[in-house]
Amino acid sequence: MIIWSFLLLISFTWSCAEAPSESTIRVGLAIAPTNLDPRLATDAPSARVNRLLYARLVDFAENATPIPALATWETIDPTHYRFHLIEPRPRFPDGTLLSAKDVQETYASVLDPNTASPHRGLFKNISRIRTPTESIIDFYLLHPDPLFPSYLVIGILPANLIAMKHPFHEDPVGSGPFLFEQRPDASRLILKRRHDSQLIEFVAVPDPTVRSLKLLAGEVHLLQNDLPPELVAYLAKNPSISLQHKQGSKFSYIGFNHEDPVVGQSLVRKAIAHAINREQIIQYALGGRARLAQALFPPNHWVGASQLQGYDYDPPRARELLRQAGFTAERSPTLIYKTSTDPFRLRLATIVQEQLQQVGIHLSIQSHDWGTFYGDIKAGNFQMYSLAWVGLKTPDIFRHAFHSESVPPLGVNRGRYADPLADTLIARAEGTSGESQQQKIYRSLQVHLLETLPYVPLWYEENVALSSTAIRGYTLRTDGNFDGLFHIQWATASTFQPKIKWQAGS
Amino acid sequence: MMRFWFPLGILLTWGIMAIGSHILPLTPNTIDLTHILIGPNQSSWLGFDELGRSIADRLITGASTSFFVALSVVALGILIGGILGIASGYFSGWVDQIFVRIVDIMLAFPGLLLAIALAGALGPGIENVILALVIVGWVGYARLARGQVLALKHADHVIAAQAMGASPWRIMSKHLLPLITAPLIIEASFGIAGAIIAEAGLSFLGLGVQPPEASWGSMIRDGTRYMLVAPHLVLIPGLTLMAVVLAANLFGDWLRDWLDVKDQKLMK
Amino acid sequence: MSHFILKRIFSALVGLLGVISLVFFLIHMIPGDPIDVMLGESALAADRESLRQGLGLHLPLYEQWWNYLTALVQADFGHSLFSGRPIVDLLLERIPITLHLSIVALAIAIIIALPLGLLAATRQHSIYDYGSMGFALFGMSIPNFWMGPLLILVGALWLGWFPVSGREGWNAVILPALTLGTAMAAILARMIRSSLLEILGEAFLRTARAKGLSSIHATIIHALPNALLPVLTLLGLQLGGLLGGAVITETVFAWPGLGLLMIEAIQQRDYPVVQAAVLCISMTYIVVNLLTDLLYAWLDPRINWQNPS
Repeated sequence: MIIWSFLLLISFTWSCAEAPSESTIRVGLAIAPTNLDPRLATDAPSARVNRLLYARLVDFAENATPIPALATWETIDPTHYRFHLIEPRPRFPDGTLLSAKDVQETYASVLDPNTASPHRGLFKNISRIRTPTESIIDFYLLHPDPLFPSYLVIGILPANLIAMKHPFHEDPVGSGPFLFEQRPDASRLILKRRHDSQLIEFVAVPDPTVRSLKLLAGEVHLLQNDLPPELVAYLAKNPSISLQHKQGSKFSYIGFNHEDPVVGQSLVRKAIAHAINREQIIQYALGGRARLAQALFPPNHWVGASQLQGYDYDPPRARELLRQAGFTAERSPTLIYKTSTDPFRLRLATIVQEQLQQVGIHLSIQSHDWGTFYGDIKAGNFQMYSLAWVGLKTPDIFRHAFHSESVPPLGVNRGRYADPLADTLIARAEGTSGESQQQKIYRSLQVHLLETLPYVPLWYEENVALSSTAIRGYTLRTDGNFDGLFHIQWATASTFQPKIKWQAGS
Repeated sequence: MMRFWFPLGILLTWGIMAIGSHILPLTPNTIDLTHILIGPNQSSWLGFDELGRSIADRLITGASTSFFVALSVVALGILIGGILGIASGYFSGWVDQIFVRIVDIMLAFPGLLLAIALAGALGPGIENVILALVIVGWVGYARLARGQVLALKHADHVIAAQAMGASPWRIMSKHLLPLITAPLIIEASFGIAGAIIAEAGLSFLGLGVQPPEASWGSMIRDGTRYMLVAPHLVLIPGLTLMAVVLAANLFGDWLRDWLDVKDQKLMK
Repeated sequence: MSHFILKRIFSALVGLLGVISLVFFLIHMIPGDPIDVMLGESALAADRESLRQGLGLHLPLYEQWWNYLTALVQADFGHSLFSGRPIVDLLLERIPITLHLSIVALAIAIIIALPLGLLAATRQHSIYDYGSMGFALFGMSIPNFWMGPLLILVGALWLGWFPVSGREGWNAVILPALTLGTAMAAILARMIRSSLLEILGEAFLRTARAKGLSSIHATIIHALPNALLPVLTLLGLQLGGLLGGAVITETVFAWPGLGLLMIEAIQQRDYPVVQAAVLCISMTYIVVNLLTDLLYAWLDPRINWQNPS
């Protein structure tokens, strides 16, 4: 007993994390950012935080066309792009100005195989990078690529630290609007806003109920997305919480294995598309917070197609298509539908399962932990699966996802979709310069994709932000990034009373 | 008597629910999105879940799943653990040495990793939940059986049987097994409770039964997500599970006390 | 005595080797490729291959296993495939966090279980007995993933006594520890009850009572210490289980301990981290087990040194 109480005493004093400062604005996340090196990060939470820490050459407008961020650019010839850094240039934490050299070294290190950057493939078209002056960077390409500027979104690192092999993934150094302050443990990350030294803390809380309770208790002040719609509605009813929502671009879809004898048939895929009542799912299971999707990109994207004619909910038509494919009530197809263990995806899977049952398709759902699920869909070990694309901006995704030469590990054509017309259209769009010409080809490609259904497009989820009324100034973005944190503030510094009693004692 | 009838009553109800789920005209998988999260009311006495399915129907169907999981896990655990434990305790020597090492390894091994590995290798589903729980669970019965056999091995009647030239198989099955059945059954009654909770935990991690199948564990898992909005979703299966776990444990306690009393009477 | 200790240590080492190997082959058997998780899908095939070679993942499995073991003997845990950090750092960061939670949980379990067990044993077959055993079981029959949010709702939101989640403030550990501790208390309370009942029937206690000591006094002074021996073994096992078994509670309370590290690493197929985390969990289990065995043997003269089973 004595030993226990002794141990208890030590453990109390020894492992208490320090309490957050009361002036820190805290943001709840579902998943913690894992890698703060923009050359290495591939997950969405890391990419979102890295946007705050590092500045980049190019950004995107709301319609996803590339716009200048650090630099403007001109096309000297199809294989030569010249970037001019915009004055005033930002500074790194040590006070040095960001220069062309830093840009050059950042991209050179991405291209260096020793860095093992997953983004290297994106830049393999670069033949050399030159810096004629402090503020001009020349990119020379092997082949013309009109989309090239939109790839240059990697955060810029200081050249001197790159040379020293600085561990950016745990000690990020950039020239973005925020500075890295502290990482008290794996679930917390504290940043400091440069212009007013306001501290912003990200707290990872995986359980959505607990995250919501944290908002209610005033322990976090902002939650964005990753909440079931019922919880959003519940929280929004609270007078001390305000709700914002905005159209989003997160694209949910059902993918098929085109080498499968059943879903490899276009008739079966069309039957499935007609059998899913997307409008009802959006209304009831997503709380109305989504819009129907007919293609990868929403209509307001610059290559988006607004005239696409989607598949209506039409069970008799679905049954008819199945009959044409040779399936009858006695010989009805049974399909394996793979999904992650995420409860929302499971809920969706269960509804789809029931709706397909109505037209005589039996789904057997298999939910796997992320590693297994991901491995399976890459290996083509599925008949159907459902996933979402987050943060798609550039139309090069059409090549990665739908070209017959992009089967994993070469690309993300996990469904082994092989269609000569799609291949031709992709190649033609890539070889065309001029936005409106490209637009035209990409639009006819999307019509063809909707006709042949490599995916059944479902919907674009809306972005939702719930913030405590103690803070103001946060604006949501279509892509779900955290740029709004740049303007977030305490509602009134003097009247704000923290709701949290325990902080007084700690 | 309360100590006997109360748990037995609950366990019997559980069994009846499990059997009833195969007879009654239930529609546990019928989704009606317009009924989402509606609470208990006159027409539906337990309300609807997050997909508008009847909670009453799912509760009864879930009883069958949990019953099947619990009984299979315990039965297979006793079978494997009992045989290996008795054999190892009886033969001693290198057989026993190897057995003890294996038991040590199994006990020190995180069962969760095993469950994920099995789900990954064989596909998720109820059979693999059972398999994973048996692989983790047999060790307890084996240790118990071995310990009992070590203590009983030198009992007079066993030595007498050995002297009369009985085969090891005969000694183990006729002279040792009957004596260790009682403690194994007590352990099993506790194991039932453990198996239901463990199934719930695997369901929480998404590795349990697959939709649309209902199990109490998966109902609680889904219900917890709507705890703030629709508390009936988690309360109903939660209280049911609690009652059964409680009953299984109380029954085990009662059984142990009853057998103890019987033993003491026999000795006198 | 020393022969016994050596024998126990040797068998503990064999157990450890078994666990390490089992984990190694199991995690490599699960589908899923760490290279995919690390590089995402846009990486070049050549990069994948060079990374695979750099990490030694292209070697036959038995060679990887041998390399891992030899590195381990030199106390080299390697680096996390995913974050690139040395695993020793990761472990040193996570272990105190998990230990903190486990110890408080264990303390809470004891605080709940001890009075309940005592009460139940001294008043066997009374309403107190059934009441306290029923109460103890109560905590066990609620799954942790429900108990956690429930306690948060009551303790943090309605009462406002504790923070919802996280580790800030001295009292942040109470709710997760309570979640874990209540589940354990039932097992402990029952163990205390049954082992007390056994001891209470023994001869020396009847002597003490005959000498005129009151029943309660006799129970606490003479019976309890003896009854706690088997309880100690159980506690040891429970502590081992707590370190690895707290995955669900750590997830709910966003408590970044060893369990959470392990589950994240499993999902990312971060092989060396999974192996190191399991090694830690199993080693604690085996060491605690070894220590309780030795302590048990030392405390209880009835144990035969030559044949401790």
